[in-house]
Amino acid sequence: MTRRPTQRLCGPRTRPFPFSSFGRTTALVASTRRQSSSLKRHRNNILESPGKGYTKKALKDKNIQPESSSEEDDEETIQADFAFFDPRPDDFHGVKILLQSFLDNKQWDLSGFVDLILGQTTVGTVIKIEDAEDDTPFSVVTALNLGRYKKHRCITEIKDFLIKVSQKDVSRDLSMLLEDGAHNVGLLVSQRVVNLPPQLLPPLYDALFNEVSWATEDEPTEELRKSFRFKSYLIATKIYKHKNADQHKKTSKGLSEDPIIYIKPEDEIFQKISSWSFTFKLHTEQVAAQELRNYKLTGLVMAVEADKIPIFRRELHSLIDGP
Amino acid sequence: MATRLQFENNCEIGVFSKLTNAYCLVAIGGSENFYSTFESELADYVPVVKTSIAGSRIVGRLCSGNKKGLLLPHTTTDQELQHLRNSLPDEIVVQRNEERLSALGNCIACNDHVALTHTDLDRETEELIGDVLEVFRQTIAGNILVGSYCAFSNRGGLVHPHTSIEDLDELSTLLQVPFVAGTVNRGSEVIAAGMIVNDWTAFCGSDTTATELSVIESVFKLREAQSS
Repeated sequence: MTRRPTQRLCGPRTRPFPFSSFGRTTALVASTRRQSSSLKRHRNNILESPGKGYTKKALKDKNIQPESSSEEDDEETIQADFAFFDPRPDDFHGVKILLQSFLDNKQWDLSGFVDLILGQTTVGTVIKIEDAEDDTPFSVVTALNLGRYKKHRCITEIKDFLIKVSQKDVSRDLSMLLEDGAHNVGLLVSQRVVNLPPQLLPPLYDALFNEVSWATEDEPTEELRKSFRFKSYLIATKIYKHKNADQHKKTSKGLSEDPIIYIKPEDEIFQKISSWSFTFKLHTEQVAAQELRNYKLTGLVMAVEADKIPIFRRELHSLIDGP
Repeated sequence: MATRLQFENNCEIGVFSKLTNAYCLVAIGGSENFYSTFESELADYVPVVKTSIAGSRIVGRLCSGNKKGLLLPHTTTDQELQHLRNSLPDEIVVQRNEERLSALGNCIACNDHVALTHTDLDRETEELIGDVLEVFRQTIAGNILVGSYCAFSNRGGLVHPHTSIEDLDELSTLLQVPFVAGTVNRGSEVIAAGMIVNDWTAFCGSDTTATELSVIESVFKLREAQSS
């Protein structure tokens, strides 16, 4: 069920919203720089998203990391231009792989869930490498209204799963969000490959929350417009929790290890501003890296009030982009 | 009839299972749902054997076989070899061979009479297979992993969607079964990873669309198939 691309209103916010690509290197800075790499520096190119009636907003660049592509170095330097796209039905397989472990190892209607995400083109972003031969998504982010999609099997399965793993003290809050308040709750889905450059996160979340607020005005029907006036966001994610988190032990080195390691930096901010959160045990097999041998992968669910989102955006910017 | 199923939310069931006219191998570690689907379809006719190969679950891609025998890679452990010999009927020759290309399921595609092999397969392995089957070294749509990009039984075959008409005709003539180019699992080109088939039944990943399923049922002649 693909949405017709909405027309942007003409107004103070005007102009068509093209998307712009980010030239990012995922490499170390080398001493020499090539002039040709400065091509992608100035990020005000305006490019049309192929096949869509509207395109992403152009985002201005600030401090770009110096780009370098020196082949003489021992370290391999990779130049990567990431671009933001609307979700498309073609992204099915890539997005499905990203969301493989969304509900731990439970067998559920993942394909239906992916279809839901790809069908909502007004809110949601997929990050891919620009002009690559295969367009594998590297990241997907979206917000789904739990009330709007409550009849879908995948949403019911998500709700049942979350209620099952929740602890007693938050179960009531959780059920309230999932049942009575569902039409005001947005399920925030954000998944990406592990090594995606963090500089992409502030624009990614800005894009998401901007799209949500545009949708409250641009969607064709009042019902749809209302469905994006989220009062709260529900987030299901994963963190690494120290195995001895409940005891305050110091390691032999005399330094205490962090009780929690956040795989996604924005989760730390979300948890700080959340109304409530809880963790639950995961059953999926974990690959134990040497550094993480004292940690176990744990699920984390949190609820964030929508009016705290501006705080989140500010803190994310200062976390990633620096003071 | 073709059945749709998943292995732990993964639709690539041809990776975790192997189906022939005489037996079915399944990987350990899937949910009970996975086995019970196979057992309900097959238990009356052929043994369904749970196993690992080389300690891994990708049994469908590591071994190759038909009703006459089963070929295992050199990485198979002795216990696994013994387990398979015990679980399968005696007339099925279970053999482990020293082949450099150890993912035999990706390199060899076969039915009960002919086999398509990877172009770089060792001569000894080719001779070993050649004692029992007619062997053809082939590529499919330019891919050398013939075991991955096609699946065929004694009644029909499905290949990579980009296979040309000439190649399709050539394959049909060589192997004496009708071939069709198509996809499984909603557009996936890796046919053998997405489905397994024998003469009377087939299993596909649950993302397989109704169109793909009807193509599979028609080319493998499953609708009018009777189990032996």
